[in-house]
Amino acid sequence: MQRFRADGFDEFAAARWSALLHVARLLTGGDRQRAEDLVQESLVKLWFAWPKVAEQAPEAYVRQVLVRLAARSARRRWWGERPVGELPDRPGPGDVSAAVAERSRLEAALALLTPRQRAAVVLRYYEDLPEGQVAQALGCPVGTARSHASRGVARLRDILSDSARPVK
Amino acid sequence: MDDFERELTRMMREGRAHTPFDPGRRARLYEGIRARRRTRVLMRAGGSALAVAGLSVGLAFLPHLGSGPAPADLPLPATGSTAPPRPGGPTGTASGPAEPSTSGPPARSTVSGTPGDSTTTEPATTDPSSTDSGSVSPETTESGTSEPGFGGTPTYPPRSG
Repeated sequence: MQRFRADGFDEFAAARWSALLHVARLLTGGDRQRAEDLVQESLVKLWFAWPKVAEQAPEAYVRQVLVRLAARSARRRWWGERPVGELPDRPGPGDVSAAVAERSRLEAALALLTPRQRAAVVLRYYEDLPEGQVAQALGCPVGTARSHASRGVARLRDILSDSARPVK
Repeated sequence: MDDFERELTRMMREGRAHTPFDPGRRARLYEGIRARRRTRVLMRAGGSALAVAGLSVGLAFLPHLGSGPAPADLPLPATGSTAPPRPGGPTGTASGPAEPSTSGPPARSTVSGTPGDSTTTEPATTDPSSTDSGSVSPETTESGTSEPGFGGTPTYPPRSG
């Protein structure tokens, strides 16, 4: 029964884990641990809905769950800080590659957006979804999703104006 | 899509690193599924227990609600010829308000002493106690049955008392 129920789920999770983790990392503004938790929770929810959505659109289902979980978890205050026993090693100025620096800058800029703006920007520009599907994933009208995306991009433009110039 | 939006898309996609779905992550995922399943089973069992408890409480209080003063203590309604005759009352009063002897004549009996004021008072027709309890006033019933007509001119003087 359980094997029949989860038929194909393991393959789906293995195939989409990396992509979902990257989306979750963008949605959380670069928080890797929280991103892994969100992907895991989304896949757990997908497992229970798998008999219904396996033949239809499991990718869209898990993306929608992921976006909503990310928005919900952003409202929890305890995600903001984690006390640690030792301070983490800070990278020196010479051992940071350009790609890592750019990714860190992007994640830091995304973290400054509101959760809805961040989700709208990620779904619109990373996932390349049409506005209707962005609105469906956010659970809001199309105009609201468009507004979130445009305001998020405008704010990112201000934040990244120094580093995100087009490469010539 | 302008240059900045294209650059934003590129930055988002270039930072993507492949993360394998290793056995540790798989084990953690299925442990989460098992924990969630246990939670769902417990919540479902708790919901069922609450529903059963609610039904039990409702059924326990239902007989007490039904033993109120209403239906058991009231006399049974009279049904046709099986109703016992009421002592001292006319036979027509037990059969309901459709009988002509209970509605028409008592009004005239009350105004029999004042012939010129025959349309002012009709109290006996609307009094429900005269038909429910069976204790109809004798003068009302008597005059209602012995009154000859509706002319408003009494043929005999009204009784006193």
